[in-house]
Amino acid sequence: MNQHEPQAQSESQVEDLNLWHAFIDQIETSQQYFRASSETLEYLRHPKRMTTVSVPARMDDGSVRFFTGYRVQHSISRGPSKGGIRYRAGLNLDEVRGLAAAMTIKCAVMNLPFGGAKGGIDVDPKTLSKPEIERMTRRYTSELVDLIGPDKDIPAPDTGTNEQIMAWIMDTYSQNKGSTVTGVVTGKPVAMGGSIGRVEAAGRGIAYSIFGVAKRENINLEKASAAIQGFGMVGRYAALGLYERGVRIVAVSDSSGAIYAHDGFDIPALLEHKNQHGTIMGFNGAKRIDHESLLTLPVDILVPAVREGAIHAANAAKIEAQIIAEGANHAITRQADTILEREGRVIIPDYLANSGGVTVSYYEWVQDFNNLYWTEDEIRSNLEQHIQHALDSVYSVKLERNVNLRQAAFILAVSRINESTNLRGLYP
Amino acid sequence: MHQHEVPSYLNQDNLGPWEIYLEQVDRVTPYLGKLAYWVETLKRPKRILIVDVPIQLDDGSIAHFEGYRVQHNSSRGPGKGGVRYHQDVTLSEVMALSAWMTVKNAAVNLPYGGAKGGIRVDPRKLSRGELEKMTRRYTSEINFIIGPDKDIPAPDVNTNDLTMAWMMDTYSMNQGRTATGVVTGKPIALGGSLGRRDATGRGVFVAGREAASRIGLEVVGSRVAIQGFGNVGNASARIFHDFGAKIVAIQDVSGTIFNGDGINPHDLLEFMKQNPDVTAYPKATTIAKNEFWNVETEFLIPAALEKQITLENAGHIKTRIVVEGANGPTTPAADDVLRERGIIVVPDVLANAGGVTVSYFEWVQDFSSFFWTEDEINKRLEKIMVEAFKGIWDVAQDKNVTMRTATFIVACTRVLEARALRGLYP
Repeated sequence: MNQHEPQAQSESQVEDLNLWHAFIDQIETSQQYFRASSETLEYLRHPKRMTTVSVPARMDDGSVRFFTGYRVQHSISRGPSKGGIRYRAGLNLDEVRGLAAAMTIKCAVMNLPFGGAKGGIDVDPKTLSKPEIERMTRRYTSELVDLIGPDKDIPAPDTGTNEQIMAWIMDTYSQNKGSTVTGVVTGKPVAMGGSIGRVEAAGRGIAYSIFGVAKRENINLEKASAAIQGFGMVGRYAALGLYERGVRIVAVSDSSGAIYAHDGFDIPALLEHKNQHGTIMGFNGAKRIDHESLLTLPVDILVPAVREGAIHAANAAKIEAQIIAEGANHAITRQADTILEREGRVIIPDYLANSGGVTVSYYEWVQDFNNLYWTEDEIRSNLEQHIQHALDSVYSVKLERNVNLRQAAFILAVSRINESTNLRGLYP
Repeated sequence: MHQHEVPSYLNQDNLGPWEIYLEQVDRVTPYLGKLAYWVETLKRPKRILIVDVPIQLDDGSIAHFEGYRVQHNSSRGPGKGGVRYHQDVTLSEVMALSAWMTVKNAAVNLPYGGAKGGIRVDPRKLSRGELEKMTRRYTSEINFIIGPDKDIPAPDVNTNDLTMAWMMDTYSMNQGRTATGVVTGKPIALGGSLGRRDATGRGVFVAGREAASRIGLEVVGSRVAIQGFGNVGNASARIFHDFGAKIVAIQDVSGTIFNGDGINPHDLLEFMKQNPDVTAYPKATTIAKNEFWNVETEFLIPAALEKQITLENAGHIKTRIVVEGANGPTTPAADDVLRERGIIVVPDVLANAGGVTVSYFEWVQDFSSFFWTEDEINKRLEKIMVEAFKGIWDVAQDKNVTMRTATFIVACTRVLEARALRGLYP
């Protein structure tokens, strides 16, 4: 179970939030669509490589602490594997391989030349000093140095990690190799091979995916309203992207609480406030509401962008939004998914909705190969087009097979993986 | 429920062999002095790799097998340890075996850490072609983390010199050059070493002989019982016999035989080429399976499976020295009984280290592509075993502990000394 947020609903605890189980469930549900290529589904059940490493690190008081680190390379059928590194207390192999598998699917949905991977360390980074995190990160990288690389497996930031940590990983890998290799990780600072627009990419991507779906659902964005759960890097740029297109953002939340404004927030001003005060609380004209009621507001668009399992069996039926974009991975549980489907809601699955991050990571990797960097405009317009192309492909599967977007995205991904698996053949 | 921290990737309710190893480390920790600061190093494998091994079977279908390679420690040098194919292989088992390789390599002072690998597969169900494909794919998946200067596999349960030839070839093809030193236990024609076949048995003999000399026991004319007549058992039997000992009892899967005047193992081997059933051997009498443990001897050599000397038979075993040719043949409880009864147990991590020692010689020869004679190898093996035995025996006397505990003290001290000297990276 991955219950790490204290406000998680007790009802959701009876649901299985094990991400690997969720992935296997998805494969089993999909079996019926893949009689001819069940071999590929079998491949997806077996992560290519799972590494566990011991990470001893010197603490500031002189003692040595041992952490457990992971890196799972789920598939490399379509190219080197790609996926984030999370530092989270309680991280385990099932969570890492579930996330790695989701990356395989996400990259294939987006038609990126990547397989999927994920890694991390079982640690609460808030309990460590910055030098301790640096030493732990460098040792972890060093243990994985033979397994990662720009042409093998490319990590990126995730929960509990950031661009500084990516800089340390890049530096440690480069020192080990004896030459600078910027492309070994993405999500680096712009000063050292990072890409413009990477920080806002996941959030903007959510907005772009909503634009595409709203058009197909005949929702006029300029008259639409939205609620955004989470005002971190993902939630805030989703809000900004929607706001810039004329959507009224009536509710947002962060770890300190949720706020509401009937006429919608001035998002740039709210961003400014959050940057200044570290919280959204105290923003002019905002009415405080409770966390849970944000999800059930009468809005057109809902973006849960905080954690897995935010929408679960107990609150799904109360949701009024027509479009729900999964900003956080697995934000909607399997049971909630069924309920929302029955209620006629349109769910933009995580594979599609939050793929902006990995897509701009892809651009960063490409730029690192060339040492030639793109402009912000180039990044944004490429990303929007990229997401619209993916939506087009997913919608054509949806229509052809008469399935929902999540199933369509999965079918599309598996078909693509299947094609490359068959073309490559079995070695030796 | 557990005294030990349970790694998230192991079965939470059953740590298996890994728990036995952790208990051994706990037992030795009080003897490590200041080095106990680093003891956590021994309790956490440096690197665990789990790989998917898909192969196309002869019928055209695709089968997926789970492969492991665990590098327990590399403080004293590259990882070293066998690769086994067995349907019951688990991560816990491979972890424990890799840790015991760390201990064994340090006990005999080889410049290695410890590693072990395996595939969860019943190799009897695969054709030779399928076995080759599986071996090559497995090697390819672990290609990044093995190498003559990183981690050097060797044969183990259900793998052999042919398996090693495939591994060497696959690794070499991946690297774009021939690297014979990536595995040991290869065929002689491909950079293998002479003397490897009998190496473990020879080491068992030297360990037994050294123990005997400490208690004033003559090997010439002594009586020996051997459980297992595979590679280790029959080599031990031949070498003890050639030195003048009497092999009075032999037990293998087909049965148990006895001859108070001694069985000639060379003759028995010749006989078994025609008839694999030992009980059909005319120059010995067949006895009941349990009777094996009652045969009066000076040397008892369990060289077959684990957990053979148990609380049930430990009380009436009539021998002076047990030399553990197999891995883990004595249960911890039986170990205590034997100690109380004054029977010396030369533990597996020392007694059967002859195999990895000649693997070490093979690796050394591969670096220079210059090969030694069998005589040279046997002499060097003898020297290493004698020195290792002496060091451990002296610690056992000095600290008044069993040879098993003494072996762990010597080995863990060496590993952690290296750990402390190298310091913590970065």
